[in-house]
Amino acid sequence: MNPIAAGVLTIVMIAAVALFGRRAQLIYRLIRKGKPVARFDDIAGRARAEAVVVIGQSKLLQRMVPGLMHAAIFWGFIALLPTIFIAMIGIVDQHATLPWLGRQGWYALLVDVFAAVVLAGVITAFVIRKVQRPRRFAGSHMREADLILALIAGIVISLLLWHASQIALGLNEYPAAWAPISSLIAQGLHHSWTPYLERGAVWAHVLLILGFLVFLPYSKHLHIFLAAVNVFFGRTRARGRLEPINFEASMDADVRFGAATAADLTWKQVLDTVSCTECGRCQDVCPAFNTGKELSPKLLIMGLRDQLLSGATAPLVPNAVTDNVVWDCVTCGACVRECPVGIEHIDHIVDLRRNLVMVESRFPDEAATMLRDVDRAGNPWGKPQSDRAHWADGLGVRVLDAGEPAPDVLFWVGCAPSFDERAKQAAISTAKLLKEAAVDFAILGPLESCTGDPARRMGDEYTFQKQAKQNVSTLNEAKVKKIVTTCPHCFNTIGNEYADFGGRYEVVHHTEFLAELVREGKLKTLAGDRTITYHDSCYLARHNDVRDAPRELAAAAGRAVEMPRNRERTFCCGAGGARMWMEERRGRPINEERVREAAGTGAETLAVACPFCTVMLDDGVRTTGAKLQVIDLATLLSEAVERRRARDSAASTTDG
Amino acid sequence: MTATALVLMEEGEPSEQAAFFARGWGDGTVHSVGVDAIKPYAPDAIAAILQRAADDLKAVAVLAAGTDRGNDVMARLAARTGLPFAANIVAADPADAIEVTRQRWGGSLLENAILISGRPLVTVAPYAVKAGNWPGPIAVDVKRYIAELDPRDMVVQVKEHIDPPGGGVSLAEAKVVVSGGRGVGSKEGFAIIEELAGLLGGRVGCSRVVTSAGWRPHTDQVGQTGTKISPDIYIACGISGATQHMAGCKGAKRILAINADAEAPIMSLADYAVVGDLKEVVPAISAEIRKNR
Amino acid sequence: MRVLVCVKRVPFTGGKMVLTADSMALETRHLGFTISPHEECGVEEAVRLIEANGGESVVLTLGPPEAAEQLRDAMALGIDRAIHLQTDGQEWDAQATSSAIAEAVRADESASGPFDLIVFGNESADAGGYQVGLRVAYALGRPCATGLKGVKVEGLTVRCEQDVGGGRDVYALPLPAIVTVKEGLNLPRYPSVPGRMRAARKPVATSNPARPESQLQLIRLTVPGGSGRQTKLLGTGPSAAPAVVGMLREIGVA
Repeated sequence: MNPIAAGVLTIVMIAAVALFGRRAQLIYRLIRKGKPVARFDDIAGRARAEAVVVIGQSKLLQRMVPGLMHAAIFWGFIALLPTIFIAMIGIVDQHATLPWLGRQGWYALLVDVFAAVVLAGVITAFVIRKVQRPRRFAGSHMREADLILALIAGIVISLLLWHASQIALGLNEYPAAWAPISSLIAQGLHHSWTPYLERGAVWAHVLLILGFLVFLPYSKHLHIFLAAVNVFFGRTRARGRLEPINFEASMDADVRFGAATAADLTWKQVLDTVSCTECGRCQDVCPAFNTGKELSPKLLIMGLRDQLLSGATAPLVPNAVTDNVVWDCVTCGACVRECPVGIEHIDHIVDLRRNLVMVESRFPDEAATMLRDVDRAGNPWGKPQSDRAHWADGLGVRVLDAGEPAPDVLFWVGCAPSFDERAKQAAISTAKLLKEAAVDFAILGPLESCTGDPARRMGDEYTFQKQAKQNVSTLNEAKVKKIVTTCPHCFNTIGNEYADFGGRYEVVHHTEFLAELVREGKLKTLAGDRTITYHDSCYLARHNDVRDAPRELAAAAGRAVEMPRNRERTFCCGAGGARMWMEERRGRPINEERVREAAGTGAETLAVACPFCTVMLDDGVRTTGAKLQVIDLATLLSEAVERRRARDSAASTTDG
Repeated sequence: MTATALVLMEEGEPSEQAAFFARGWGDGTVHSVGVDAIKPYAPDAIAAILQRAADDLKAVAVLAAGTDRGNDVMARLAARTGLPFAANIVAADPADAIEVTRQRWGGSLLENAILISGRPLVTVAPYAVKAGNWPGPIAVDVKRYIAELDPRDMVVQVKEHIDPPGGGVSLAEAKVVVSGGRGVGSKEGFAIIEELAGLLGGRVGCSRVVTSAGWRPHTDQVGQTGTKISPDIYIACGISGATQHMAGCKGAKRILAINADAEAPIMSLADYAVVGDLKEVVPAISAEIRKNR
Repeated sequence: MRVLVCVKRVPFTGGKMVLTADSMALETRHLGFTISPHEECGVEEAVRLIEANGGESVVLTLGPPEAAEQLRDAMALGIDRAIHLQTDGQEWDAQATSSAIAEAVRADESASGPFDLIVFGNESADAGGYQVGLRVAYALGRPCATGLKGVKVEGLTVRCEQDVGGGRDVYALPLPAIVTVKEGLNLPRYPSVPGRMRAARKPVATSNPARPESQLQLIRLTVPGGSGRQTKLLGTGPSAAPAVVGMLREIGVA
């Protein structure tokens, strides 16, 4: 037992913990001061997310090499945790160790293996960063990362050297045979200076760790504490649902109109910003960033973090984040899905938008017309609501009157299929198929009003809530139970967001409903010779996990091929986030990018399940001249049903 | 003793139409006072002159074209005499209680109303009635009235005229107008519209959707709340033909509509139609024009 | 400075005219309502004038109880208070409207002082009478310029700009004056939600004037038929170009 060593260690530890604690407290306070948001439901789901995303490193492992690299370091860190205490004990008493664990051979093996694994991970990380140089690191603090990696390397190298010198000096409490790597190194350490190496290595190990502890809360390495917490508090269900604003708060001052300054951020948003590791995976999948726009989800979060930590009270837009960045976003959710530490970038963007639209009235002019039209005309194009059911002329579709009770299924058409030439086709095909399958359904016609999705994504929560309340009232009056809709945005809003306004219905996307009809045999199909590639709609595949039903329909209609970015990794068409009504003024058009990807599959049919995707991708086909036909799955299914009917009737006539 | 009608005359077809229409009142005689009787334009003074002239002539009705100036002067005449005023009529049935048909919603809706007045004051909606061949109205000698004008009627008078920037013919006076609507797609998309307009020596116009999106300035807007045009030919590209827009171009002698949607309202309201993508059709027309030059 | 702006509640028709069964009015069952477009610019101009010069802005409407919505919308943009001349929903013709407005202006001015400027829309989107602003001006004995695209208060006069065939005509009227304005005067701001919430608490003075006998009595409304033009299809796609150019040559344009 070395009292001087114990004394020095104690002083250093106290100093380190105090310095760490001071900064950690600052960060904790920032989080606590954040505005409230309810994230304490579904504990089971949250625990599951912890297990899968954090312990299981699921999001990181989507990219195999960097994923394994990080998993190595992460799991290594967990496994090597006790060695910190073993080292501290070893400083005080060279011959002592952690009771029981310090003597276990299997633990010695574990330590050796993981130390090597961590080192391999660090080397891999350096190779990725210095040799491969992926674009996702553009804008990240590279030197800080280098220092962190160097410290980690230093920690495991000092650990291995300590164990090796322990073994060389015979000080090991664990059987040396169980520590092959340390033993191997020990063979080269039979020198007079080995005792000094042993003391030096253990002190270096502990000092590096304590130094790291102090450095940690000033760096992005803070994520090792916060990431697990942030993932726990992320959305587990209804991912497409945005937090409503309570406009009826008794005092004006209590109403939070999104985020104007850092003080307006919720505690989850604060936690988001300080959890960021600057890995850039979000940036890599962002459609805006990848087509030359200013928006980088990573730089957005970093900008907010920097302003937050600096304590500045200036408005977030344009000081931490420019106006362009706020409006570039299509709310596709690729960033949120990709983020390994559970950051929910869309909440930040929408809150910034809410302040800009509802308080400062500072937003792209062309969107003002859309917002006014939603408010005054009940649809974003200002078309007459009395024309809303015209698409169904001649189809024998039942239109409900005010107060009339709804049948089994209410077909919610949506504004785009009601008024847009190209989007209408999906509604027509769906109506025909529903009739064919003898489904008892009706539409609301002029009583159907915009769900308010474009207003909400713009940040105009006020107009959205007016629409939501009006529609919920109409739906409840008609005692609607089940809704089928062709529009994923309506699907998301009615299914996930209307519950906050008293609207609880079973909402199904038309591809899901039609796929079920096919499975039940109510619609009989015959596949044709089209080669079909299906474009997953963001609001279906990512926000709501609807990925299989559309594929059943595509397979029933023809030969299906997948695009590289498919299912939950789909690449947005560019219309989300109310961008359908905004000009794309910088960079390359997002829709053309996706059309090129589709054309690259060799398919001649580009299947869609969303009216916005229909219009955007069709525009993209026209401007790029691609040899593709953009067709809704309902129409393709309709073709398949016709084909089957033709074959069956031909067969029966030849029989007769 | 004649039962004459009195009409306010300006340059242009709408006044000629109003004067021709005025023959339906009284015994068919029509007298006129020019809006340029006072230069620069002073609407209260013109209204005062009209009032004096109407009284002296014992005019059975006073009419004008439903132009900006026409409505302006006639409303002042109505205000100073306390008589009712029906703007933009398209038909009238003169009797004791006159039934007039006038425009609402810029012409999208028609109102039949009874005008109860000792001396009907009306403006005639431009291009709603046709002017035929006739000698024209009798000009009233207004010198005496001018000499006796109350100075208060000269307070509202044009003090200054600002010429349009860049010179050239304004949208309202252009003989050829080529317009783009939502179908053009973007600010840059208007290049082909400008090209065609340039080749035909005309002006570029647009629909309200385009100005709201910020692709073109409001000065280019054709429509009920924009500029009313009366060109020899109006070429509408990618414009659906909403009534507010059509209200602005019904003065056009001929309308050519180019639209991808054969069912768009404008396709049955125009004189000529081409079904197709304007992005292909418009450059093709420009190329065809160049070919033979 | 004191500015009054007058507005009218009109339906947002989307360009389509649907009549009630008795053809006496538009069917408004599926329609939203708004302030007539020219007047929206008038409201914005009034707000800007008071922002620049200090003082008070007032919005006035003659309309049914529901027209209070339009008053709140105007106040959400920044107008300070409102006057609601409430009707029972029946139409008032332009003369009746004007005299009621003139009356209300006189009453308000005797209580709170004269308005430097009163702003009207050139014509309402629906009735399109083109006369209310001028009649009120004559009733109050004030100068009035119409159809303006530019309004600038300079000391004791207001500089008014009007679009004419080529260019603009400019008037200079001594205050107090009345102007009627057209869309294009300015770009109205989008109302802020705090503005809307404040507007809900701003004062509205309501009265119920008696409706005088009308001298322009509505008999019925009708939706006009087509343009009367017979459409000739020249072709489909770019291949129609020669036919088009042929027609253009015929009329002497190409």
